[in-house]
Amino acid sequence: MAVNTAARGTSAGVDPSGPNKPTPRRYLAPLLLPAVILLALLSIYPFVWLIYMSFNAVGLAPGAPNEFVGFDNWSRMFSDSQYWESWGILAKYSVVSMVLEVGLGTLLAILLNRSKHEKLLITILLMPMMMAPVVAGLLWQYLYNGTFGWYFWILRSLGLLDEGTILGSSDIALWAIVAVDVWEWTPLVALIVLSGLKLVPQDQMEASWMDGAGPVRSFFQVALPAIKGSLMIAILLRFMDNIRIIDHFIALTGGGPANSTKILPLYLYEQSFSFFELGYGASIALTLLLVTILFGKLVVNRFEEREENPAKKDEELV
Amino acid sequence: MTNPRTATEAGSTEIQDDRAAVKDDDLVPGPAVDARDQVVRGRGSRIVGIAISTFLTLYVIWTLAPFYIMITSSFKAKGDAFSLPAEGDWGGAAEKLIAFTPTTQHYTDLFAQGEFERYFMNSLIAALSSAIISVVFGTTAAYAISRGRFRGKKDLYFWIISTRMAPVVAVTVPLYAIFKNFQLLNTLPALILAYTVFNLPFAIWILKGFFDAVSYEIEEAYMVDGHSRWQALWKIIPLVAPGLAAVVVLCVLLAWNDFIFAAVMGGEAAKTLPVATQGLKSASGIEWGQIMAAGMVTVAPMLLLGIVIRKYMVQGLTMGAVKQ
Repeated sequence: MAVNTAARGTSAGVDPSGPNKPTPRRYLAPLLLPAVILLALLSIYPFVWLIYMSFNAVGLAPGAPNEFVGFDNWSRMFSDSQYWESWGILAKYSVVSMVLEVGLGTLLAILLNRSKHEKLLITILLMPMMMAPVVAGLLWQYLYNGTFGWYFWILRSLGLLDEGTILGSSDIALWAIVAVDVWEWTPLVALIVLSGLKLVPQDQMEASWMDGAGPVRSFFQVALPAIKGSLMIAILLRFMDNIRIIDHFIALTGGGPANSTKILPLYLYEQSFSFFELGYGASIALTLLLVTILFGKLVVNRFEEREENPAKKDEELV
Repeated sequence: MTNPRTATEAGSTEIQDDRAAVKDDDLVPGPAVDARDQVVRGRGSRIVGIAISTFLTLYVIWTLAPFYIMITSSFKAKGDAFSLPAEGDWGGAAEKLIAFTPTTQHYTDLFAQGEFERYFMNSLIAALSSAIISVVFGTTAAYAISRGRFRGKKDLYFWIISTRMAPVVAVTVPLYAIFKNFQLLNTLPALILAYTVFNLPFAIWILKGFFDAVSYEIEEAYMVDGHSRWQALWKIIPLVAPGLAAVVVLCVLLAWNDFIFAAVMGGEAAKTLPVATQGLKSASGIEWGQIMAAGMVTVAPMLLLGIVIRKYMVQGLTMGAVKQ
């Protein structure tokens, strides 16, 4: 396992800064345009529509006209307390699940790196990620169920849950969904961090141990600087996915109880497709997109940094 | 379907192996534990070894337990099999978890309604079509981006990647309105196009990495031999074939597992497995056995695919951050 950095320039004697000779211009258009046109139709055209929709009350019946309403949707959004609250819940959810996933994932990666059963363990860790998130949500709803749920039973038997059900209590429900996210996606963080750890030269680690640094200190001195880049990518990807995918929430709580799990993308989903306030939904969607694009810029910068960092060039193991 | 189960068994043997490994450590130092370390902290490192094995064992159980409960529940008869033991009765719990008479009732019920095969086919058609479209268009574009030098390349690349990262719901809002105008709602083409929004950029991104790793000299040699550039591109396709296969599978996975697009734009006519599974819930009284069976039908094919292309799975799921 090696990191993407190494993908370029490893093939025999090619200059890494520009791995291959340029393709003559006349070939570029027929190669690029089909994909670019298709993608433009599927992303730029809808984006323009989204902006248009945010200034309209969108008609619902087939052929119904849209009504221009100026900045109504926008002013409504800025004075909508649920909108701001949903940002808050999203932030709380993202930060807590991210901290747990990065902590657990890093620990897992370190242990995997030493384990003789690395391959088998990785196969097991991959399994939750293959599961359709909505099915994962349903499965956990069953595990949390107050009548049939095994996890509910375990919590009760251990005396950790005094009254009520897990998903029915507004102060627990969000953390219950965090647990599902941790279950499904901690392995992703672990695998990304593992790829970074593979780049730490073993003798450096050993030298640090010989100096009497001990495992914890040598981790912070030797390993952590080397996996910083991987950690950053993992964190950013997890943040983006928390905004992208709301299937767990739809399956588990639908935003309840008492709106305690209504993260912003879920609020957007509800406004757009339960109440069919598509114009209002468009305004919310645009703000979400803006944040995503900012995050996206950070992610891409990270990837490019890794690709351009010459120190890590020769690490590919294939 | 048997696959997760064998994996469960493999998991438990794995755990025992790990304990054995700890004992071995006393004689043969592991890679990160050098001899001196053994002398100085022999007892300490044994405790650390046990702690590590315990943690990994618990983590494997935490990961696999939901799968185990899902599989067994899908084969449990209604009624008593689903009841829980008295609180704190751990012995009774173990018995309930292991001993029951398996029945395929939930699966036959599921398919007896006559619609589930159709949902399966919808999922398959939507996922495969979008994967093929994405790979075909993605291959040429990735090749051009890998080989070409032109102004605005960075911006083009960023646009492509950021499309992949857009929130699903935010994309669904305008697509819903547009597809309504074109009367595409509740059709498979709507789903195929929607999945392509995410799959095409993904394909370009991952395939660019594969083309970057192919030396230009190979193409050059073909062109010196009198082949055209198109023929040369065609000739190096076998070199990126693993990448193409991986991207097809990952695109299928992404589309197959989607819920939002299909729930909003698929309707009954283009209902897919995840939507159908969630749909079983809203019927009067939740039939958990059946939902678990439907979940198995949805999840099992992807688990198989995932294990078959395991090493590319890691790369794909990490958006290319990890390369094997």
